[in-house]
Amino acid sequence: MNIDYGRRKLDAVHNYSFIGKRVLVLLFLLMPIPAFLISMTIGTFPITTGEIAGVIVSRIGMDMGHPSVYETVIFQVRLPRVLLSMMVGSALSASGAAFQGIFRNPLVDPYILGLSSGAAFGAALSLGVVSWIPVQLSAFIFSLLAVAVACSMARTEGRTPVVSLVLSGVIVSAVFSSLLAIVQIAVDERALQSIVYWMMGSMNTASWSKLESSFPLALLGCLGILSLRWRLNVLALGDEEARSVGMDPERYKGIFVISAALASSSAVAVAGIIGLLGLIVPHILRMIFGPDHRTLIPLSITFGATFMVLVDDLARAALGFEVPVGIITTLIGAPFFAYLLRRTRAGGWE
Amino acid sequence: MKISRYMARIALCLLLAIPALGAPVELEDDLGRTVIIDQPCQKVVFLVENALNTYYSIADPETVLAIGDNIWKRELKEDFFRAVDPKFDDKVRIGFDSGLVSLETLAAEGPDLVVLWATSPEDENLKAITETLGIPVYAVFITSIEDMYKQVREMGTISGRADRAAEVEAIMKSYVEEVTSATEGISDEDRPKVYWMWSDVLGTAGRESGFDDLIYQAGGINVMNFWENDASRMEHPTVPLETLISLNPDVIYMWYNEKLDPEDVISGTEFAGWKDINAVKNGRVYEIENPFLFDAFSPRMPMALMHLARNIQPELFADMSIDERLDGFFGEMYSVHYPGYAAL
Repeated sequence: MNIDYGRRKLDAVHNYSFIGKRVLVLLFLLMPIPAFLISMTIGTFPITTGEIAGVIVSRIGMDMGHPSVYETVIFQVRLPRVLLSMMVGSALSASGAAFQGIFRNPLVDPYILGLSSGAAFGAALSLGVVSWIPVQLSAFIFSLLAVAVACSMARTEGRTPVVSLVLSGVIVSAVFSSLLAIVQIAVDERALQSIVYWMMGSMNTASWSKLESSFPLALLGCLGILSLRWRLNVLALGDEEARSVGMDPERYKGIFVISAALASSSAVAVAGIIGLLGLIVPHILRMIFGPDHRTLIPLSITFGATFMVLVDDLARAALGFEVPVGIITTLIGAPFFAYLLRRTRAGGWE
Repeated sequence: MKISRYMARIALCLLLAIPALGAPVELEDDLGRTVIIDQPCQKVVFLVENALNTYYSIADPETVLAIGDNIWKRELKEDFFRAVDPKFDDKVRIGFDSGLVSLETLAAEGPDLVVLWATSPEDENLKAITETLGIPVYAVFITSIEDMYKQVREMGTISGRADRAAEVEAIMKSYVEEVTSATEGISDEDRPKVYWMWSDVLGTAGRESGFDDLIYQAGGINVMNFWENDASRMEHPTVPLETLISLNPDVIYMWYNEKLDPEDVISGTEFAGWKDINAVKNGRVYEIENPFLFDAFSPRMPMALMHLARNIQPELFADMSIDERLDGFFGEMYSVHYPGYAAL
């Protein structure tokens, strides 16, 4: 009697937590929608929510007689910026989650293979020395180059041990940081200011053309991670365990590194270096939902987008002047992360 | 008797000449530091180019001992420097290592004074030169037009040519006057609102910057004066694009930008969000085409002012020929022609 009662109670608790978790997952998956709508109403240009709705209705075909500048602000300034922020958040978070899975290391972020140093060097080169190369292109090329060099350095006898890969990333990062320092020394004060500002990360020059150039590659990278996400669970167990279940860990590590590098390079190239996002978003989700990558990756994409766009709302509207978004991700993310860390055993890895 | 009177006169002359050769003089640099030099300085090192330009308009180029190896856009400037200082190519170049000046090269030259750019008395180069080498350092930090005139006077003191410095200041002021006499009567309401675009595009000149003064003298008004945010007072604030659209400047003035042209701002896809700004709608986007000739933080500040005035108030300055003014200005300041820099 008591046993049956206890079992029924356990089942109820289990069902409740199962249903509760499903609801929570759904909530996190849908979170970008309200975040998008809220963000579209935030900005320094004086325009009310009703007027925004009116302008959107006008676009559909019913002319509401609004000044054309309203349409410009909504469709040429706010919308590309909101979408770019969401794309950057998704790309960095998904890459961070993938890299953490591959490296089986909670301290890993999308910049582990020298991507950020490579991108910063590329941007600095364009801003201060070879001005005919577009900043975005230069940052993208050098970020991918850094990852390629790190991977080729780490590869020995057809294998890429995780430890070698991390060490190669550190070395490549150091080399590009030194090259960046040389550029910073050589350029004039104004170029130096631009380089420093770029490195702090910002969405203030968002445009449709930036979105168009970066979105396909970011999407490709995210889709690569998303479609193979269950394999990250196997990779996270280690190379030997992966081989024991018939999986080629080298092949999938390669696919994940390329996908994550593509996604994060596209993001860094258009937004600069945004710190902590790719580290804390997957961790926050892991603390709430556990380490299963089948759930973690799609949630990283949606929650990353939500987190980034809300942070950018603060960056562009809270003080009335532009604050580099990378500063805010760190200032907000770090204490929030510390709070969750204290409440969660082993940071969600167990 | 006659001989002793003659000797006494010579001794008196020598005594009077001593202060002129090496009398200690106190200067106050742009950071408010007191700098004591023996006037006139015979061996001056310039690690900042704008002060070198000023010095060449006043002093004997022979007294320029060495030059920092960090001249920006040197290809635009070296012909001019060679014209005003025939030994320019032979001057010692002081290198920098990781941003720090080469103290050994500097020590080997033994200058009387080093002139450098510094934003704070804690500047590493400033401290290293004064504390390690014990060489006086004059720190340059220009934030206003008045600072430029002060620099002219101080270079006159350093070189012992205060009279020539007064002449140079008068020349600069006469060119400025040519513009301001035409613009000072314009009311604030009638002045076009001007957005100054630094190379970071949404970075601009704040209300307490040298360009704010220059824009006003040129007959415009810095659009930052209409931004109700404390950031507008910053020297280089970054403005949200939506704010810029609501401020709606009539003129956009770009600092020399290798990556952008006015046409990009007017019709480029990256600037689609700017299309409702008056300046863009009316095609009133201009660029400082030559950062040497129109450098506002140099003695050529009046030329920068004329460049701005011609575009901000085209009706007032329709007849102004910038090339003619440049020729006259270079002649009065440096005794060379423009273009070509042939000696007068």
